[in-house]
Amino acid sequence: MSIATGHSPVTMPTDPLLEIYLERRANLVRYFAARTGSVSRGEDLAQELYIKLASRDQSAITVENPVALIYRVATNLMLDQARGDARAVARDAAWRRLAHVSVGEEDIAIEPAADDAAASRQGLRQLVDAVTELPTQMQRAFRLHELEGRSHAETAGIMGLSVKSVEKHISAALKSLTLRLGR
Amino acid sequence: MGAVAFGGVYILNGQSCATAWDGLMINVWRNNDDMRSERAAAWVVRLEADGLGDAEATTFDAWLSASPDNVAAFDAALAISRTFTANAQQVAEGVAQRQRRVMRPAMDRRYFVGGAGVAAAAMVAVAVAPQIFTPTSTDTYVTAKGEKRSVTLADGSRVDMNAGTRLTVTLARKTRSLSLAEGQAVFDVTHDADRPFTVAVGDRVVRVVGTQFDVRRRDGKLSVTVARGAVEVRPQDGDIGKAYRLRPGQRLDHTEGAAQARIIAAEPAEVLAWRTGRLVYREQSLADVVADLNQQWATPIRIDDPTLAATPVSGVLILDSQDAVIRRLALLVPIRAVRSEAGLVLQRDIASDR
Repeated sequence: MSIATGHSPVTMPTDPLLEIYLERRANLVRYFAARTGSVSRGEDLAQELYIKLASRDQSAITVENPVALIYRVATNLMLDQARGDARAVARDAAWRRLAHVSVGEEDIAIEPAADDAAASRQGLRQLVDAVTELPTQMQRAFRLHELEGRSHAETAGIMGLSVKSVEKHISAALKSLTLRLGR
Repeated sequence: MGAVAFGGVYILNGQSCATAWDGLMINVWRNNDDMRSERAAAWVVRLEADGLGDAEATTFDAWLSASPDNVAAFDAALAISRTFTANAQQVAEGVAQRQRRVMRPAMDRRYFVGGAGVAAAAMVAVAVAPQIFTPTSTDTYVTAKGEKRSVTLADGSRVDMNAGTRLTVTLARKTRSLSLAEGQAVFDVTHDADRPFTVAVGDRVVRVVGTQFDVRRRDGKLSVTVARGAVEVRPQDGDIGKAYRLRPGQRLDHTEGAAQARIIAAEPAEVLAWRTGRLVYREQSLADVVADLNQQWATPIRIDDPTLAATPVSGVLILDSQDAVIRRLALLVPIRAVRSEAGLVLQRDIASDR
C-alpha cells in the first residue's frame, strides 16, 4: 500500500538495485521464460520482481553482489508462485481451446483456412523428420524429456545414465534441432 | 566466472573459445557460432533443471550480457524448445508412427514413400517451424470496464489488454496486422523478420519486428511506449506527420489529427505496471488519471473544475476498490469526492489545501 510522491517528470529511479534490474530486465525475462516454460509467465514474473525490489526495505541491506541478489529474489519469487503458474498455464490453455470468441452479440468462429491447415501439417512433418534423424541416445533423451514431459532425473532413471549425461544429450539434441529448424 | 558447476571457460570477446564439459576438451578451433549454439542450448536445458544455484544464474546473466549474438542464440534455442513443447503430443505420435513404418520390411512401398518425404523435407527444412503453425484468421478481442485480459496469439506473441479495450488481430502468412480501436495494450512480440507486426491505432501505424511495447488510445490521444527492442510509428496512408523510431525508454505522445508528435523519456516498467493492477503517474493531469480510473468501475468520476482537472499528479495508485483509490488519490492531490446522481464528483478540498 505504498504511495510514492514527488517524482520529477523524467528522472529514472536512483535506487542502484533497480537500475541494475532495469539493465538486466531482458535477461531476467529470458531466465524466467526458460525456467517456467512460458514467455508470458516470464514477463509477469519480471514485472513482479520489479515491484518486489522497489518495495523492499532499502535500509536493511548493503548489497555486495547485487546481480546475485536479484537472481536469488527472482528464484524465490518463482518458487513462491509455482501454484500461481499452474493456474496461468491452465488459463492460457483455456484460451487456446476456445474455438469461438464472443464479440457483442455475435459469435465468431476462428477456423484456419484449408490451405493453412495443410501448411501446418507440413510444419509438423518437418518437426517429426528433424527428431527422427537425431542420433539414437540424443533422440531417446529428447523424446522422454521434451515430448513426453519427464524430468531430467526421470529420464536419467529410464536410460540408466547420470542426470548430467542426460542434460548433455538433451542439449545436444536441442542444438542440432535449432540449427536445422531455426532462423 | 570460471568453474561453476555448468561452467566451462569462455572468453567474452568471442575470439577464441574452449569449453570444458565433463573434463573433455572440445576442439578449440571450432567456429564461434557453433560454440554459441551449443552453449545456448545447454543453458536452455540447464535452466529447466531443478535446484539451479545463484552462481549459475549469475554466470548465465554474464553470458547473455556478453554479446547480442549470445542473446539471439539463446532465443533461437528457447523458441525451438517451446515449439516442440507446444506440439509435443503430435510430434511424439508422428515420430512413433515413422518408427513403426521403418520397422516394416524394406520392400514395403510405404517405407520408400516415407523415406522420400524425409529427404524432400530435409532440403526445405531451413524454412522454420514457428511461422508455419500460424493459420490466417481474424479475431476480435474486447475487454469490459474493470476487466484485464491476456491473449497469446498463434505466433507466440502475447497481448495484455487493459480495461475498455478493443483489438482486432489478423495473422496471415506474410503479415501480422493488428488494430487497436480503443483502449490500451502491451504487446510482447515474437521475433519474425519475415512477418512484420503492425498495430494500427487512430491515424498512426506502429511497426515492429520483435519487441515489447505499450500502445494506448483514449479520447483521440495516442501514446506508444517501448520497453524492449525498437518500433517505428508512422502516419497511416494519407495522414499527415513524420515517422519516428522509438527506443526502449521512449514514449511518443500524439493527438489524433495533429501533424506533430512529442517524444519523451518514460520508465517502461511504470507504464506497463497497469498489468499488475498499478497505475504510475509522473506529473500527469488529474483529468488523465480520472480517465484511466473511469475504465475500471461502473460509477463514473467527474471533475467540473478545469483548474483542478489540470492539476499534475505523481504517484502510484493500486487499483483495488474505487473508494480506496479515491482515498489514496486524496493524499496526492487536495480533493474530496461528492456522491451525486451522475456519479462521483471530485472537488478541491479547501481543508486539506496546504
